[in-house]
Amino acid sequence: MDNSKEWHWFTGGILVSLLSVATYFVFEALELKKYPFGVTAGFGYISALFGNLFGGLAENPVIQKYTKNILEFFLLIGLVIGGYAASKQSKTFSPENIPATWEKYHGKSLTKRYLVVLVGGILLGFGAPFAGGCTTGNILQGWAHLSLGSIVAGMSFFAAGIVTAKILYPNLGGENDTN
Amino acid sequence: MILIKILLGLVIGLIFGYILTKTGITKYPRVMGMLRLKDFKILKFMMTAVISSLILFHIFGDLGWLELSPKPLSWGSLIGGLIFGTGMGLLGYCPGTLAARIGEGKKDAIIGLVGMAIGIFIYALLFKPINEIFLSGKVNGDIFQLIGVNKWIIIIPAAIIFSGIIYFVNKNFSDNKKIF
Repeated sequence: MDNSKEWHWFTGGILVSLLSVATYFVFEALELKKYPFGVTAGFGYISALFGNLFGGLAENPVIQKYTKNILEFFLLIGLVIGGYAASKQSKTFSPENIPATWEKYHGKSLTKRYLVVLVGGILLGFGAPFAGGCTTGNILQGWAHLSLGSIVAGMSFFAAGIVTAKILYPNLGGENDTN
Repeated sequence: MILIKILLGLVIGLIFGYILTKTGITKYPRVMGMLRLKDFKILKFMMTAVISSLILFHIFGDLGWLELSPKPLSWGSLIGGLIFGTGMGLLGYCPGTLAARIGEGKKDAIIGLVGMAIGIFIYALLFKPINEIFLSGKVNGDIFQLIGVNKWIIIIPAAIIFSGIIYFVNKNFSDNKKIF
């Protein structure tokens, strides 16, 4: 992991907050909605496209809600492009099948990693709308509003994440070098 | 209008993704390092964004320039949150960083995206019972209304506590130590 070209956390944090606030203003000016941007809804749009293939789901409130989220869907595409542009720009673009850290502890098996990722993805997708938003909606935005729901959700994210990470990586090695 | 939405979505996403990747918080060892309580760059990044937005949102709110919308509290916040957190630990990404990681060429993130879409789909199928059991007893999420004090009496201590967390982890943990 080459960290030398990374921005400082402070720079990144301030820029994200300015983006949040600017977005909020733009959304309100365009009368789109009265809440800041989130990422889950973009994934929801994909689920809704899939759901709309089946006639019986047209009445489903979740599918109905996400069908309208074309902006969030393109936000998701923008995120992919942004990740690509930034990694190209700092020359850290590096296609890989499995993270090196995973490989070191859990082996080279693609099936194993992809299965864990698939299950993880399903839990993430199921949990995000259940909890009222993902990390972006609940922490970056919700904590900034000091929303009770978001504070409880964000703490639950960390609590369960910490336990899962401890199970996946019970013993850590390597003290001196950088990752 | 649809064109505006598409363009706006693309621009916001692009900037957000660029910041996430540039700051290095999309990296798998960083996410896992945070969850293993060893690498706190992501937490410092998040807390900085939270403090700054907290203050800006409420100043602009006081000026009447924007209207805030706190999220309500329900059992979903806790139970959905725990399910989400387990997924985040297994994946090593949250939804936003997952998308940016696809752009960085990480193939497992694509499987994560498929999983995420399936997960939301399952949630949609089970929405009726979930809504009845867990989401029906919603509490107003507006902490200021609930406690009934001037909101700056809560905002300023909250900002100080968040800053204290940043100060503590910044002092005690390095961002570039090899953990794994």
